[in-house]
Formats: sequence, structure tokens, C-alpha cells
Amino acid sequence: MRKSYGDVEAIRGVSFEVARGEVFCLLGPNGAGKTTTVEILEGYRLRSAGGVRVLGYDPAAGEREMREAVGIVLQQCGVQQDLTVRELVEMYGRYHEHGLPPDEVIGLVELTEKRDVRAKNLSGGQRRRLDLALALVGDPELIFLDEPTTGFDPAARRQAWSTIKSLCELGKTIFLTTHFMDEAQALADRVAVMRGGEIIAAGGPDEIGGRNLRPAEIRFALPANWSLGDIPDVPSVGREVQADRVTVFTREPVIAAHELTTWALYHDVELAHFSVTQPTLEDIYLELTGSGDQHDMSIEEVVR
Amino acid sequence: MSTVLSPALRRDLGLVGSQIRYEQRAYWRNRGRGIFTFALPLMFLVIFGALDKGNTISTRGGIPYDDFFVPGILAYGVIATTLVNLAISTAILRDEGILKRMQGTPLPRWAYVAARIGSTLLIVGGITVVTLGLGAIAYGVDIPASTFPALIVTLALGTAAFTTLGIGVTRFMPNAEAAPVIINLIILPLTFISSIWFPTDGMPKGLAHIADVFPVKALADGLQTALDPRTVGSGFVAHDLATLAIWTVAGVYLMLRFLRRPLGETA
Repeated sequence: MRKSYGDVEAIRGVSFEVARGEVFCLLGPNGAGKTTTVEILEGYRLRSAGGVRVLGYDPAAGEREMREAVGIVLQQCGVQQDLTVRELVEMYGRYHEHGLPPDEVIGLVELTEKRDVRAKNLSGGQRRRLDLALALVGDPELIFLDEPTTGFDPAARRQAWSTIKSLCELGKTIFLTTHFMDEAQALADRVAVMRGGEIIAAGGPDEIGGRNLRPAEIRFALPANWSLGDIPDVPSVGREVQADRVTVFTREPVIAAHELTTWALYHDVELAHFSVTQPTLEDIYLELTGSGDQHDMSIEEVVR
Repeated sequence: MSTVLSPALRRDLGLVGSQIRYEQRAYWRNRGRGIFTFALPLMFLVIFGALDKGNTISTRGGIPYDDFFVPGILAYGVIATTLVNLAISTAILRDEGILKRMQGTPLPRWAYVAARIGSTLLIVGGITVVTLGLGAIAYGVDIPASTFPALIVTLALGTAAFTTLGIGVTRFMPNAEAAPVIINLIILPLTFISSIWFPTDGMPKGLAHIADVFPVKALADGLQTALDPRTVGSGFVAHDLATLAIWTVAGVYLMLRFLRRPLGETA
């Protein structure tokens, strides 16, 4: 599908499929077109070209059947401030023919203690959980989560993740957008990275961008009185030295690490800061999107 | 009756009913809005009633000021609880994304709008009963049976005009903060040239023409005629009703235009 505003192309031909029961995560810098893409799928915006099917429905048609089966957590979206948590969950639940019992949903997002508090008196994190409750109360098959944990403290994020994971276990399909890589890593079955209105990479979080084919990285600090030449010639595809920090790139991390640590023990030297890592999703993401690349400013900003 | 309606429609009407209850709860809990739209007209009623106690209006055959003022305040109360309330609250619903959120639910848009209107009608009913009740008890205003149908028809048509306009003008409100200012900037001056607070019978022609174009004067005048002790007959004022009818058409048009917009596309 495509979306343009006048001459500006916000979405330049994006194509993907999400399987039922899958957690699909759309990643990308601000202005990459994530929200536009999601809002087209949710039926809030009309695509300029292309074909879209959500659970078999065309979201542009705004069919009630689709809205029965879809739960939406928007990025910033108010609620009726003067109603309580309980009233709101019950009210939104009524709109669905086969909704869940309000108290069950309130329990699921852990707002039971706040059930009689008016929405305007909730904290930011509690409001976000209320948003989730309002999306879940219709017992949807598919849930859109647009940056669901932005503004959460680390503990609240872990809590939200476990709620989302429990939704997966119920067989829900989840369409997630986020700019937290750890969130994508923890939750997603498949990720797609957007940039400048296009999907530039897609795949499992462990394979995307050839992540699984990248060499592992062994890092340590070069001990004093030793030089790089003293380090044994372990199987590697390259080395990098910055000040006293050494990085060895290797496709045989077990052998390389074994040889390095054996050498260190034999010579009684301490390899400080020793670590073996695979490139993280974040490393791949930054490579793909070109970190610090400022030219690709928010399309929304350009339009407004 | 219920056999005529399909089960789906009956369910939707039930949703309208329950939504009206939630709308009512939200309205009365929001003290600021309740005072601004419901209590303010009643406060004016008490203040002006005390100020002009015992006065008569010479340009209107010496009728008691109360007989003029109570229906005038009723007109203002209707406008405050419909146009003013709806324009402000709908702008808030739009700006806070609540309309967008509602659009994402299976609740049909017509049902939501019907509930908003239904809730507004309850509030109008409330302000009518309180104003006329206070008028009858405290200010001795008589509601004659002969003009009662005219009173109700004028009220109904005025409510229709100002309710639809209230939702319809939301699209001219740049944001929720500006909405009360803009609405009052339009409505308050109109009330001064529309015989709400005092009779404007000897007003300069130019101002009188302006007042005649807008529905504020038509509503006030229609209600004042219905409660004027000098009125003989049914008390229907054709040109007032015609003005209100035309504004209702305009209001429905604006409301439908506002509601047709895809809410996510607003910027």
C-alpha cells in the first residue's frame, strides 16, 4: 500500500503479511511511517493506493464486524475523564456483542484497586493500562498496540510485557509498534524495520538483517604489559582495538573464548571486562536505519 | 412496537440508552461545565429577577418584567445547554482523541451521536422545568394552557436548531481552549440585541436586522410571546418558527458534514 499527502509520499509501497496468533512488530525511527501504516490498518486513515485486508476486511470500509474483532491502543488518546475505570471498561465493553466481563479485564491489567477512580485521577502508567483494558474488553482477535510502553518505568514495562505475552498465549494476534529494541526482542515473533516510508528489512528478531550470520564479538581489556601480538591467534574474522579495549569478531565463539581464557589462565593475567555477545537487535537496527541520520525528518512535520 | 424492530436495531437502541446514561453521568460530574451551562442561566434568573422586581415594560403594554424575563432566560438556558455545551464538549472530545477512540469501537457513529443528543435533550428538559418552575413559584409567571402547545413547539424547534448547530460548529473551533471564547463571542452579543436581558423594541434598525437573522431572537421572542399575558390565541409566531426551522436545516447540514469526516485524518 501507499499513502501520499500531496506530493509527499509518507508510505512508499509497503507490503507485508501477519499470520494469526503472531506478534508482529513494526520498528523504525520517528517519522518513518509506522503510525501512518498502523492507522491505515486500523481504518483511521485512507490509503492512497494498494490493497489492505485485516482479518479479511478492508479497513477503509469501516465495517462494524472488523471493529468487533479488533482492539486498538492508540498512541495518545483521551478517555471520558469524569468516568471511573470500572464505568469506562463496562461502557466500552457494551459496544461489543461478545465482550469480556469488565472486572476480569480490569484484573488482567492490574487496575482492580483503581476501579472506582476517575480516569482524570490516574497516573500515566495507569492510564496506559486503562487504554489496554479498553482495547481488550471486546475480546478481540487482533490487537494493535502503538508504542504501548512509552513513558513507562522499567518495572512497569516488564509488567506490560508479561500482560502482552499472556495475550499471545490466548492466541491473539498482536501488531506492535515500538522504538524499544528490547521490547521487540522480548515480544515479537517477527519484526519489520521501516525507514522513509518503506520496509527495509523484515524477519525474526534473531535473524533480521542477517543477525544470525554475523560473527560473535569477544571483548576484553588488554592487560597492562601485554601487547596485541601476545594474544593467541584465535579463529576470527577480524579484530578491532580501541585504546586498551579489544574486540575479536569470530564465527567460532566457543573455541575462540576457550583459547583466550586458557591463555589468560596459563599466563595468570586477568582479561578484564571479558564478554561474548552476538550483535543485538539494536545494533542491527541502528545499522539498517543509519543512526544519527537527520535528513529523514518526520514526514508528518513536513506535511503540517 | 418491539416486534417491528429487528433484533440488531433493538440492541443498538439499547446501546443508545445506556450511552445516554454514561453521557449524563459525565456531564453532571464535570462541575465546571455544569455550572457554566446549567447554573449560570439560573443565576441570571435570580439576579435579574431581584434587580427588576416589580418593574413593568412600557413598550410591551406594561406587562411585568418577570413575564418577559423568565422566557428570555429559558431561551438563554436552552442555548447554553445545547449550543454552548455541545460546541465546547465536542471540541474537547475531538482534541483529546475520544471521538477517534469511539470510531475504533463497534458502536455505530449514529448511535453515539444519538446518545449525545439524547443526553442534551434531558439537560434541556431539566433547565426548562427548573426555569419555568422557578418562574411560576417565585416570579408568578403564568403558563396559559392556550399557548402551551406554542411554548413546547418553539422550545422543540429551538432545541433542534441549537443542538445540531452545537455539534456542527465544532469544525470551526480550532481547538478546545478556543471553543468557549469563540462561542461566547458570538452568543453573548447576540443575546444583548435579542431581547433576552431587556426588551430591544426601540433598537436601531441595523441591529434589529442582525438580530432577526439569527435564531437567538427567534427563540426568545417565540417563548416570550407564549408567556405574554397579552397574547390571545395559540401564540404561535410564524416567522420565529420559520427562522428556527431554517437554522435547524443549517444545523443538520453542518452536523452531518462534521460527522462525515474521517476523524483520523484531522490535523
